[in-house]
Amino acid sequence: MNKDCGKVLVIPCSGIGKVHGLISRESAYLVTDEVAPDRTDVVCLALLVREDEETLARVRAHPCITIDGCGKACAQKNVEIAGGQVVDAVQVAKVLTKHRGSQPGSGSDLTEEGWAISREIAEAVAEEAERICAGEEVA
Amino acid sequence: MAAEMDKTTKVGIISCSGEEIPEGTISRSAVRRVLESLRPHETVTLCLPLFLAGNEGERNFARTHPVITIDGCDKQCARWGTEKHGGPVTRALVVTDILGGSAAGCARSLRSRGPADEEAVGRVAEQIASAVDEILEEDRPAEGD
Repeated sequence: MNKDCGKVLVIPCSGIGKVHGLISRESAYLVTDEVAPDRTDVVCLALLVREDEETLARVRAHPCITIDGCGKACAQKNVEIAGGQVVDAVQVAKVLTKHRGSQPGSGSDLTEEGWAISREIAEAVAEEAERICAGEEVA
Repeated sequence: MAAEMDKTTKVGIISCSGEEIPEGTISRSAVRRVLESLRPHETVTLCLPLFLAGNEGERNFARTHPVITIDGCDKQCARWGTEKHGGPVTRALVVTDILGGSAAGCARSLRSRGPADEEAVGRVAEQIASAVDEILEEDRPAEGD
């Protein structure tokens, strides 16, 4: 593994109105706290949009994976506006189409199904983070 | 203010996303509790990422309705973004001001929440609900108007 790869930054949208936003948020925590804590770190989207200098510098220096709830892709757009490189853009709404009929929960809480879907997203993001760093090693 | 405030309708609440700190999760959960349980008929939420990404529907609501921002830390990103794109906010609450250091034992993820998180969310949600009541009282026409 390339030791200079550093961490891949994971930025969820955390949209507050629907379960999609909560899944994005909890997926990000699953990746960064549990599935790939050595390889990833979470970034506060609002702080990025607030133009916080330290956050801007981090986003511009590391590959970013965004997790958006819906097709409006607020996290992806805001990272790109900030000058960050989005190497993968996940949309929860698209993932949910693979789980037709599921009841993942609400904007306040997740059901077991919701947690399982969050973990599925987290594992996919962790795999992508690993692949990105492996790719940088080859480069 | 350029746009006239709507005096008869709801109060908008905008929470920071605050993914890096437990106070961000407390902020989000407290807002959800106000919307669902404490003041469901008096409040709506605006999605901060959507607001900041330029959604005109969200921004227009903030220009024409009273808005409370609730931020996890003193960087006050929700307040900053709202005032930059929508105008002055009616109330600006900060979780660290409300809780002091008592959020230290709280978690970022809902899967790790415990009694300390529940208490923190409850305290912040009550503060938001009180702010909603104050705003609606201020907006209520005096008798005889």
